[in-house]
Amino acid sequence: MTRLLSWFLSTLALGGFALLLGVFVWQSAPIWQTEGTRYVTGSAWFYRQHQFGALSLVYGSIAVTAVSLLLAGPLGLGAAIFLSEYLPQRARLWLKIPIELLAGIPSVVFGLLGIALLRDWVYRVFTHFDPLSGDTLLTAGILLAVMILPTVVTLCDDALRSVPGRQRSAARSLGLTGAEVVWSVVLPQALRGIGAAGLLAVGRALGETVAVFLVIGRQDNNLPHPWFSLAPLLEAGQSLTTKLGGAETNIAFGDHLHWAAIMGLGLLLLVLTAGATALGTLGRTPHA
Amino acid sequence: MRRGMDVGLGLLTGGCLLACLTIAGGLIWAIVSRGWGALSLSFFTEQIALVGAAGGILWNLVGTTILLVTAFLVCAPLAVALTLLERVWLKQKRVRHWLRIGLYTANGLPSIVFGLFGFLVFVQWCGWGKSWLAGGLVLAMSMLPTVTLVLIERMAAIPERYIIAATGLGLNEEQLVWAVLLRQSWGGLISGCLLGLARAAGETAPIMFTATIFAGATLPKAVVESPVLTLPYHIFILAQDSFAPGIGTKIWGAALVLLGLVFSMSLAALPSRLRLHEESHV
Amino acid sequence: MSDNTAQTNAVLEALQLDVRARGKGILQNVSMRVAAGQIFGIIGPSGAGKSTLLRCFNRLSELTSGIKVRGDVRLKGRSVYSAGTDVNALRARVGMLFQEPVVFPTDIRSNVLFGARRLRKLSKTDEADLAETSLRDVALWEEVRDRLAQPAGNLSLGQQQRLCLARTLAVQPEVLLMDEPTSSLDPRSTGAIEELMLQLKSRHSIVLVTHNLAQARRVSCVVACVSVRNGVGQIVEQGTSGALFGSPQSPELREYLKWDSQA
Repeated sequence: MTRLLSWFLSTLALGGFALLLGVFVWQSAPIWQTEGTRYVTGSAWFYRQHQFGALSLVYGSIAVTAVSLLLAGPLGLGAAIFLSEYLPQRARLWLKIPIELLAGIPSVVFGLLGIALLRDWVYRVFTHFDPLSGDTLLTAGILLAVMILPTVVTLCDDALRSVPGRQRSAARSLGLTGAEVVWSVVLPQALRGIGAAGLLAVGRALGETVAVFLVIGRQDNNLPHPWFSLAPLLEAGQSLTTKLGGAETNIAFGDHLHWAAIMGLGLLLLVLTAGATALGTLGRTPHA
Repeated sequence: MRRGMDVGLGLLTGGCLLACLTIAGGLIWAIVSRGWGALSLSFFTEQIALVGAAGGILWNLVGTTILLVTAFLVCAPLAVALTLLERVWLKQKRVRHWLRIGLYTANGLPSIVFGLFGFLVFVQWCGWGKSWLAGGLVLAMSMLPTVTLVLIERMAAIPERYIIAATGLGLNEEQLVWAVLLRQSWGGLISGCLLGLARAAGETAPIMFTATIFAGATLPKAVVESPVLTLPYHIFILAQDSFAPGIGTKIWGAALVLLGLVFSMSLAALPSRLRLHEESHV
Repeated sequence: MSDNTAQTNAVLEALQLDVRARGKGILQNVSMRVAAGQIFGIIGPSGAGKSTLLRCFNRLSELTSGIKVRGDVRLKGRSVYSAGTDVNALRARVGMLFQEPVVFPTDIRSNVLFGARRLRKLSKTDEADLAETSLRDVALWEEVRDRLAQPAGNLSLGQQQRLCLARTLAVQPEVLLMDEPTSSLDPRSTGAIEELMLQLKSRHSIVLVTHNLAQARRVSCVVACVSVRNGVGQIVEQGTSGALFGSPQSPELREYLKWDSQA
């Protein structure tokens, strides 16, 4: 009886998730049929003219995620190294509490903080680039960095501590300094876990909606002009999630192709985040 | 030279940790200092007025509570079922491995995806319009991986000897489930649900198309066309308008209350979390 | 070995060592002297604090938080706990071999040179020579000379332990601390390691912690028994190997030897 019930409920749950995936594939089919690859490579999104090019949205997502990883990655890894290699057990546990609290702050509150604290700061500090307002890709990237920081710290700490203590003792007994032990014994063996941490952080960053929504500027069709400089980051932009979270979703439902385009964005988002998360998870737990 | 590098690394990484702690502390302080002034009894017991510039957040709290309770009631049985599937009923190791990978992946899905799904299926196809039930179901779905993973880990940590002793007494699988597995891990169900609910309480994206509006709702009377007010959506809408001085403290007050809600649920789950050492933003 | 020579030639000594961990006493009033060219055996029941004692000699005890050490340890007359001591240099002078061989996940050659590389700049030829010398010292050279670039993890357990010994010898220590180095090895590898101990003792004094009483009898000159007395680990008896095994005096040692009737 319990067995039957378990199977029934599980099928319901798994079916729900399968339906989720299926719905995105099915509902977005029209846009793949009409536009094909131009959907992803096209840079113009004007829904009234039925022009659906998602490139600037993909760029927005990637730019914001890249900035966040560049900022939070080294900072989080450094903090994790100190936590795992330099601190005694008790201090570690206590100091992880503020980090856990940071992880618990809801997205919308981060958005609020971004508006109150980051917006003006970015506008003032980067006047050299003449931004239109404080709502830019850079602002969103910095905010996102703070949001993924706890993930990076805890997962890197995990990866470092999975290196057995025997390795450290053996290296120390040869006369290696603490830094040498970290550099030549611990880090090389923790590399895989650290990479997985990065992937999981990327997955998290790509999927973040509300906080980014509030400070990104929500400007469509912005592609970087000089590709490798800071300037394009200081323009307002749009990402996959912020487009989906905006007013267009409600409007789109009436229009067959528009709705397909929106669902297509959702599908892209699904695939990207699921891919990053799955790879990251496999990196942490390669076997059963 | 070697000594210098050693000290240098310590200082560098210590600085990184200090920066992280400062950020964490600073942000929390920013919320508390700005929002504390708005808290009063009337804040909790009145409803919003003047588009948020006056009044309180009563119905927002009620609405959020309704969504969370619904989500819990739907999610808990499903999570238990999936856990039992992974722990007991599924025999092949490979299938169980892939189930777990699937759960971790689903755990990382963006919440807006669930929101879109709910919008399409419940609001449009089922014809419910914006409904508290749609919101509850969507939140349940987004919580499910988290709760299941916590429960699986808790059940896996049950000492082997209990299972061996029970089997040795002649219990079959079904009796084992009820007498040993569920009894020993219901704490994991509670802490997993608290963790999932803490996350769900702060979510805006899944509910903004499916369940919530900004003003004009109190208690829902039916399923169809029965939206609720919620705390996160309230903050979301107010944040997008430029700050009028009146709204200023109130929006931070709402943020502080939301933070308190989320933290207290997370804190209640903390002992189990620290024990099980659960990571990967579960 | 007369008492006089032991005093003048003491390479390593512990003076009234007291070790506490989180308020609980681990070792009390431990004093011992290791002379040059000597193998000093430490025996005793599990949990008495033998490994902790060993780790006080190269200050590896400091890696565990909460450990407090009082008393002194002297290497060639100089205290290792004094304020200006370079701990890393100390650890190179007092090498350690662990119960389970700990090889680094790199090739054999890199393993052997792991510590030595960091002590001083070595040219390519220096490195090759040092690797060969160290591996010959542990009788491993002939077995691995053709596969120095292969992962060290591919070696058998006995070979790995000899590799660890070679690695320690490459930093040219004055004393070798060995914490039950053969307890995870098969009898043949155990014999090989014991052979090496006897060969190496002329150049490096050795402090050997072992559970294997036959081994202690075979290789050590002087033996100390560490046992729990009054709730804390102490040296209950020490003396030459012959005296200790031939006519044990203290009740704890007599009890211990009764449980293990290896001839």
